[in-house]
Amino acid sequence: MRGLGVLLGKEFTEILRTWRLFVVPGILIFFGISSPILAELTPQLLSSMSGLADQGVVIEIPPATTADAYLQFNKNAMQIALIAVIIATAGAIAGERSSGTAQIVLAKPVSRTAMVAAKALSNWGLILVAVAVASLLCAGVTALIFDTDLLPEFAGVVGLWYVLAMFLVALTLFFSAALGSNAGAAGAGIAVYFTLTIGSLWETVREFTPVGLLGAGDRIIMGTTDVPVVWPVITGLAGAFALVGLAAVAFGRKEL
Amino acid sequence: MSTAIEIDGLTKVYKDVRALDGVDLIVPEGSVFGFLGPNGAGKTTALRILTGMARPTEGSARVFGHDVVHATNDVRSLVGYLPDVPAYYPWMTAEEYLRFAGRLFGVPREVLDERVTSLLDMAGLAGVKQRVGGFSRGMKQRLGVAQALINAPRLLMLDEPTSALDPMGRKDVLDMIAALRGRTTVFFSTHILTDVERVCDTVAILDHGRVVRQASIGEIKREGHATRLLIEVEEGAELLEQALAGQAWVRECVRNGQAVRCVIEDVAAARRAVPALVARLDLALVRMMDEEPTLEDVFVQLVGRGV
Repeated sequence: MRGLGVLLGKEFTEILRTWRLFVVPGILIFFGISSPILAELTPQLLSSMSGLADQGVVIEIPPATTADAYLQFNKNAMQIALIAVIIATAGAIAGERSSGTAQIVLAKPVSRTAMVAAKALSNWGLILVAVAVASLLCAGVTALIFDTDLLPEFAGVVGLWYVLAMFLVALTLFFSAALGSNAGAAGAGIAVYFTLTIGSLWETVREFTPVGLLGAGDRIIMGTTDVPVVWPVITGLAGAFALVGLAAVAFGRKEL
Repeated sequence: MSTAIEIDGLTKVYKDVRALDGVDLIVPEGSVFGFLGPNGAGKTTALRILTGMARPTEGSARVFGHDVVHATNDVRSLVGYLPDVPAYYPWMTAEEYLRFAGRLFGVPREVLDERVTSLLDMAGLAGVKQRVGGFSRGMKQRLGVAQALINAPRLLMLDEPTSALDPMGRKDVLDMIAALRGRTTVFFSTHILTDVERVCDTVAILDHGRVVRQASIGEIKREGHATRLLIEVEEGAELLEQALAGQAWVRECVRNGQAVRCVIEDVAAARRAVPALVARLDLALVRMMDEEPTLEDVFVQLVGRGV
């Protein structure tokens, strides 16, 4: 993988100097801060909006808890943030091909595998830092509004989310390399994401594949103790690395 | 002299199109080699195969003895390449891009510092702090040549480096190429004949994916079948033009003042007949001389159309 270090350095510099620094990290940090606040305000909002109190109907909405704050964050991160991850990753290889930047770089003694690996590692690194900052902010705001309960569970849930994000980054990189189109890669990535969501309805699939990462976080926060996460984490990580390998093979076969 | 590029029966087929059709080519080391052909002749396809961006359908290509399909990194270490439309990371400056390119070649830091300074200077980009995204086409092209030289390559491959440049931009790039003569082999594709005449010592003419001729510029011009003949008389050039136009060995005549310039089919017949013709018309001959065919004349003969 000749040139990996140089390409990785270029990727991180690009993150710091372009929109890439703000999109996924911005979304995650926004959810990190807003989720506990939204959880706290939701019961009051629902009560004020029902309009049934004037008719003598009383709806009792229990006060929000720490678990609600973390559930809110997990729900937002699992949906909007993961779709943002897919869209932000879709152009990683297809964009380099269509703009012509790959042609001039790969005419140098650099392997295409190194270029794909640099894309994967930089995106994984960016998301790791972003979700770490976002979850720390979420835990801090939650502690201020509620308490410091469920911190170990929340850390585990963030870890599961990160494994799923790694898998989806690798999947989108594969589509980006194989399809050669930003829009095509984003569309295929989102389609697979929704297929995984549907797949999470089957217990066997949930137990042994990365699909299990989708709903596991909510169940852990709600206190379920026997949530199967070992196989979903193992297959999620293995799938992520395998997909990066497949992306390198697909990119290697393309003419520039 | 050793060989920089050796291409043997190179064929590239895209669906129903034969972009290259059995190309054979030898580029001697140390030459400034013009790879000339009209748009769509297959020049870029050949360069893409040589740089490992595309794979041949048939045939082989070797750069300094290394097969370009199997020894891609060995080849690339020795080569500097400028694509026809160079694209850079728009957020980088010219200096950052050159450093990035140098590190990809593994150029040691001290050498890189020195080389970046001299190449920025050569490209007229020293002190330019603007990001590459805001560069003009000419600046991008000059940066392209500079980045292709960052590894002090044994072979510099340039794909249409002067197309779409204004006259000053063309002059700058051609001066940069001319300055490399004797220091590195330059393989330079273009459809601009005057550029080839100006900087190249050897040329291959490509048409419809085939090399129709490869030789030195001088040799190619000497082989031009039709010769131009300039005949100047003291006065009465109109009469001479009419008389020449009726001769079987004249393809066409153009008069300019008292001089008539003819494209001749049969040079020997013309040399025998012209003095007699002038005498019969009772005109005073000032001069009669062969005019060397231009590269464009030869190109039109070989390819069958202008560019």
